Amino acid sequence: MSPEKMSPKKMSTDEHSKMTELFDNLRSDKYPLKDFHHIGKRGVHRLDGYEKAAGKAIYTMDVQLPGMLYLRFLTSPYPHAEIKSMDTSRAASLPGVRAILRYDDPELPSRAEVTGLSTAEVPVLPKIAHFQGEEVGAAVVADSENIAAQALRLIKVEWEQRPFILDPVAAMGAEAPLANPEDYPDTNIAMENVVNKGDVEKGWREADRIIEFKSVRSHHTWIGPEAPCGVFRWNGAYPEVWVKHQRPHLTKRVISTWFGGIPMNRIQMHCLYQGASFGGWNTLNWSMGGHYCAAVLARRTGKPVKWTFTRREDFFGGSMDEGVCHFKVGAKSDGTITAVKATAVIANTVFPLGPLDHFIENTRIPNLFAKNTTVMINKGPNTAVRCEQNLNAQSLTLVFAHVADALDLDPIDVALKNDGAEGRDTAWLNQQKAELGFEVRDSLKECIEKGKAAIDWDAKWHPPGTKKLDNGRMHGMGFNWTHEWDDSGGSSEMAIRIERNDGTATILGMRPDNGVSAETAYCQIAADEIGMRFEDVFYNPQFDPGFFAMTPDGSTNLSINGFAVRHAARQLKQKILEAATAPRAVTQRGGFPPAFPDLTPEDLDIKESVIYVKSDPSNRMSLAEFVGLSGFRGPMTDIELSLEGAVSEEKPCFSPPLFAEGYHVQTGAYIHVRLKFCRQAHFMEVEVDTETGEVLITKVVNVNDVGKVINWDGCEGQQYGGTYMGIGRGKSEEVIHDPVTGVMLNGNLLDYKIATMLDADAIETRLVETGLGYGPYGAVGIGEDIATVVPALVGPAVYNAIGMWIDDFPITPDKVLDALERK
Amino acid sequence: MKEIPKTEARCSCPYCAATFDAFETLKAHIIAEHKSQPVPAPEGLIGLTINNENHAVFVEPGWTLQHVLHDRLGMTGAKLFCDQGVCGACTVIMDGRPVLSCMTLAIECDGKHIETVEGIAAEDHPLIEQYVKHSAMQCGYCTPGFVVTAKALLDQNPNPTLDEIREALAGNLCRCGTYPQHPKAVMEAAKDLERAREDVTRKNVTQKNVN
Repeated sequence: MSPEKMSPKKMSTDEHSKMTELFDNLRSDKYPLKDFHHIGKRGVHRLDGYEKAAGKAIYTMDVQLPGMLYLRFLTSPYPHAEIKSMDTSRAASLPGVRAILRYDDPELPSRAEVTGLSTAEVPVLPKIAHFQGEEVGAAVVADSENIAAQALRLIKVEWEQRPFILDPVAAMGAEAPLANPEDYPDTNIAMENVVNKGDVEKGWREADRIIEFKSVRSHHTWIGPEAPCGVFRWNGAYPEVWVKHQRPHLTKRVISTWFGGIPMNRIQMHCLYQGASFGGWNTLNWSMGGHYCAAVLARRTGKPVKWTFTRREDFFGGSMDEGVCHFKVGAKSDGTITAVKATAVIANTVFPLGPLDHFIENTRIPNLFAKNTTVMINKGPNTAVRCEQNLNAQSLTLVFAHVADALDLDPIDVALKNDGAEGRDTAWLNQQKAELGFEVRDSLKECIEKGKAAIDWDAKWHPPGTKKLDNGRMHGMGFNWTHEWDDSGGSSEMAIRIERNDGTATILGMRPDNGVSAETAYCQIAADEIGMRFEDVFYNPQFDPGFFAMTPDGSTNLSINGFAVRHAARQLKQKILEAATAPRAVTQRGGFPPAFPDLTPEDLDIKESVIYVKSDPSNRMSLAEFVGLSGFRGPMTDIELSLEGAVSEEKPCFSPPLFAEGYHVQTGAYIHVRLKFCRQAHFMEVEVDTETGEVLITKVVNVNDVGKVINWDGCEGQQYGGTYMGIGRGKSEEVIHDPVTGVMLNGNLLDYKIATMLDADAIETRLVETGLGYGPYGAVGIGEDIATVVPALVGPAVYNAIGMWIDDFPITPDKVLDALERK
Repeated sequence: MKEIPKTEARCSCPYCAATFDAFETLKAHIIAEHKSQPVPAPEGLIGLTINNENHAVFVEPGWTLQHVLHDRLGMTGAKLFCDQGVCGACTVIMDGRPVLSCMTLAIECDGKHIETVEGIAAEDHPLIEQYVKHSAMQCGYCTPGFVVTAKALLDQNPNPTLDEIREALAGNLCRCGTYPQHPKAVMEAAKDLERAREDVTRKNVTQKNVN
């Protein structure tokens, strides 16, 4: 159906009709701004910088309320076990323990919506654990966290241990024990996803070389600096909730389904600053379970309840990394790839994405066969950490690197040779760009040119295993690429209000802050669109004004919220100009004339928060003067004066309330929805110590074509920040389980090694602005992708150094030494 | 009624049995002669000087300094991240040295001078402004720990090299990966402090000349 037909009625303003055209935006931004004053300008600093640097920023973990009790959960000591019986009497009699919620409590439903993403119902307080460390059986509230922890140790549980399985490939075997017979009673295989394009057999026949290899990835997790937590209090009969959750509006909906239903307008939400969780935790099916238990216990005790996880408990699940993938690739001698077949097994997730989606989305390779099997094992649930594309990004990186190596070609030439989309080449892609109204630019080429220059590729690239440095280490260079992340589906509503008294603007919309500084970008957009000074626009996302804004973990930040802010801002500007030329009010003393009499809205404009007449800029009025004062100090001033017998000669200051809302909805960017035109390329220089196996990353260059930069600091922050997370993911981070007991061995930050400041010597960031994105002003996303694309880059870089492939991530020193041994 | 006999000495010292007329004199004697407090402090009461303000807090033996600062005194800048002395998010300066408050028992801190991020911000230390200018934070949870560690470095070493800064901050973990911005911010803050010191010197010289 065309957008016009979907429109419920003829929209009143021009902006509304523009908006319908942009719904489900499948083409270039038709209504860009001509001039940018704040958007894309360097030196616009984040709005929350002072609060965060000065230690003033408050997180849910910091919340304390009068009489607050602390909730801690019992966790399973076994990877797969059922509670047969439980004695909580000793725990209950410990002084300071206020209540204990048990799995068999009559008030607990067997299942409820306690999820952050889907509407699935799961046990609120399960009696069966499917991984070691899972919250099961009991929740204790006490006067302090220490007392609650002591009480947990006094609970006596009779467990029935079940057989367990930790290895995803072994879990597919016919003899393998069932990892989760409750949800998957017949087999550990949860889902299979097959993509078949073209004819791979034909591709093998056309190829000069066939390359086969296998890649392995270990269990990786998010590590949220602030562990999962929340506060629940009953404000009379209705909830007041503090959520550390990336989807506050979804959590509000979830809460509204509890206890027979709670009206949405009675739920008071607080979504404070968040020690980020990068998409992890909050999309999991039990991510609101803590809140449900806290809600029951808060009502029972009549006190606010704060539930917290320990650092160990934040290792609840992981990212969608763990698994194995087998590749078969056919290529011609000139680097043209003719076919790719990839068969992947991935653990504990419900998103069977990849492994070859990126080949469809940004290569001309016509013959592709991909099969992805998701398998349940007895480890925590996996979800999209940073994003769900790690397998896809890794496949693209490794296939291209292996092909370049087998054919003795520069990997950059292989990338350029195969760039395209949907099995078609760049000529076809360029034609699509032109048809959709985009400028025809070659994003990959532009990215590669910038990156090559920054890392001095032509001088430094060498055949694998051939460059020994004076310090005795082997030198290696790596390169990888893919498309830039286009944002996916969702909807958002946001509004802007002009404040009385000083004429500043407040953007309204609830979304969690997770550090990407999107708030600053929204203010830049609103300031430019209305014509205000940047410092006059503010956005406090922690406040719930009832408008829901898309969340970062929905892969939909700027593209959706940016449009919503822009639409609101454009309509608000129109409203201001209309109000400025219309009579302002009628009172007992007569009407107030327009602020700009005998003019039309088209005669006026706004710049630096001042309304002025275009033909005579000296005829001006600041927004603050225009909106006037609040309450009786405002329009009533005149009346007050008249009571004293004096008549004011001053222009009365008053305007109607100035408020406008905007919204946006889109299906998003998953395969076949819309073509991806923006590319990214990354370059890595390493030194490998052949005696210790240590990989030292001496330089990384990130080049991202973000279409249009809105906020420089924000974009660059995602580049170097994502690189650090990617380095950890690629060479040191690995959750290890004991194969005999199934117990997680390194659920702490001493033994689970995330990157420190010293793990990369230099990171250089480059941004390309081709305008080839579908977001406002031609922008695409940047927050998810670098941490997802960089991990695999460690592989080709280490290969180039030592001349041996280690397709087993993370590439830890022991694996490097093993590879050197094999050599 | 039987009259109570009047004695000359009203109290005697528990250490040496010396007698005194007045209780105040006895207290002074105990402090001077026996180097001891005449009235022992109640168990668990500690004195802390935090950001130049004196605090008296009752603590349980198992409480960490982080718990006391964050949960009891409302100084929420000392954040709990790793909870085992690995990440530096809870760093405070104690008697001039950066310490991990999650690994420090409060009861052992009696009489200590402590500086927190709240104090550093209150004195308008240039680190805060430079951190903002360099966007050296994302989610911000670990940021106060970096600022405190950097302040301790600049107190000891006003002109650190890049390597010295990296070494000082290597123990602070940031999951958002803001690392490249911190040395830049610290370097600039050091320059700001240097300029401030020069201004003071110049003013003093001018003042002298005027006098």
